[in-house]
Amino acid sequence: MTRLDATRALVALAGDEPIVASLGHPAYDLFAAGDRPANFYTWGSMGLASSMGLGLAMAQPGRRVFVLDGDGSLLMNLGSLATIGWERPANLVLVVWDNESYATTGGQDTATKHGADLAATARALGIAAAVTVRTPAELDRAVSEAAREPGPWVIVAKVSESTPIAKPTLDYVFIKERFMAAIGCGEPVVPGRRR
Amino acid sequence: MPVAPWAVGVCAGLYAAGSRHVVYVPDNPLSHVLQILREDYPDVRTTIATREEEAFGIAAGLYVGGARPTVMLQSSGLGNSLNAITSLLLPYRIPALVVISMRGDEGEWNAAQAPMGQAIRPICAAIGMPAATAETPETTAATVEGVGRKAFDERLVGACLLPRRLTVPPPAPGGRA
Repeated sequence: MTRLDATRALVALAGDEPIVASLGHPAYDLFAAGDRPANFYTWGSMGLASSMGLGLAMAQPGRRVFVLDGDGSLLMNLGSLATIGWERPANLVLVVWDNESYATTGGQDTATKHGADLAATARALGIAAAVTVRTPAELDRAVSEAAREPGPWVIVAKVSESTPIAKPTLDYVFIKERFMAAIGCGEPVVPGRRR
Repeated sequence: MPVAPWAVGVCAGLYAAGSRHVVYVPDNPLSHVLQILREDYPDVRTTIATREEEAFGIAAGLYVGGARPTVMLQSSGLGNSLNAITSLLLPYRIPALVVISMRGDEGEWNAAQAPMGQAIRPICAAIGMPAATAETPETTAATVEGVGRKAFDERLVGACLLPRRLTVPPPAPGGRA
């Protein structure tokens, strides 16, 4: 399955719940699969999507928080899995689009092409519900269960690379404000002042 | 461990700024703050991160989820944090109160701490992160609160530096220098 097809399936299963996407191709494909206010597109901070998802999951325990990470990005911040494995937010679903390459930067191999197993790593760091899926049916089953059952979940989806077909806005503050309003956390308006 | 008045001030200041979640990478002086939070602030949650950059990522998620995060770290960890601050918090205008326990300033004994410690203020200025200094135990609460209020009102990343002259007690008379 391509990453774009997998992202479309994920969006269909996520309902109105928030989705945080890692920079580059995961964010581009989330936008292409379905732009919606509860999407948070990162444009930098490689590796931190799972950390942001953890913070959001702790602040919003009543919501199911989805994160779309990449294998290269997660490899940059493996400590995040240890922290998630310690905090164990039941409402966090970390999906890793594992194409075994740094696709956004030109397709260099990642360690997952050479034996690194991110689901096994997650289990070893305290996240029991960590699985690897390889087909659309397996992905659908895993995400459906993760949307329902207590987590935290790590779903490593082996995907093939697909050339992105769209990119989200570069207006970062708009992305944030729209996202926060969509999940009921709109920022307080700071009133103007008269002298 | 005797209660350090400056640490009481840090806790009071971040609480008064509305922060109820502290994400941190520990250091020795900050252990005083953590002990007070544990004992006297049952509604303040703390999360330990494996690395400072990760702490800022968690803080960003807390903020978009409606919380007012505090990040606590040692000055050496600011280097680990720069990509998170400059490519996530600042461009999206995601605020945080940042409490930095200083190394490498006056009284430092470890040369490995000196270059970063002495560069903290220029680095903060260069990336657009205002940095105040807690000068005395008596003023620490007001300084931390002021930095936090400004950060959350103006959606900035605001730092409050805790110098070693504040956090490390002078050696007892007759003790080793």
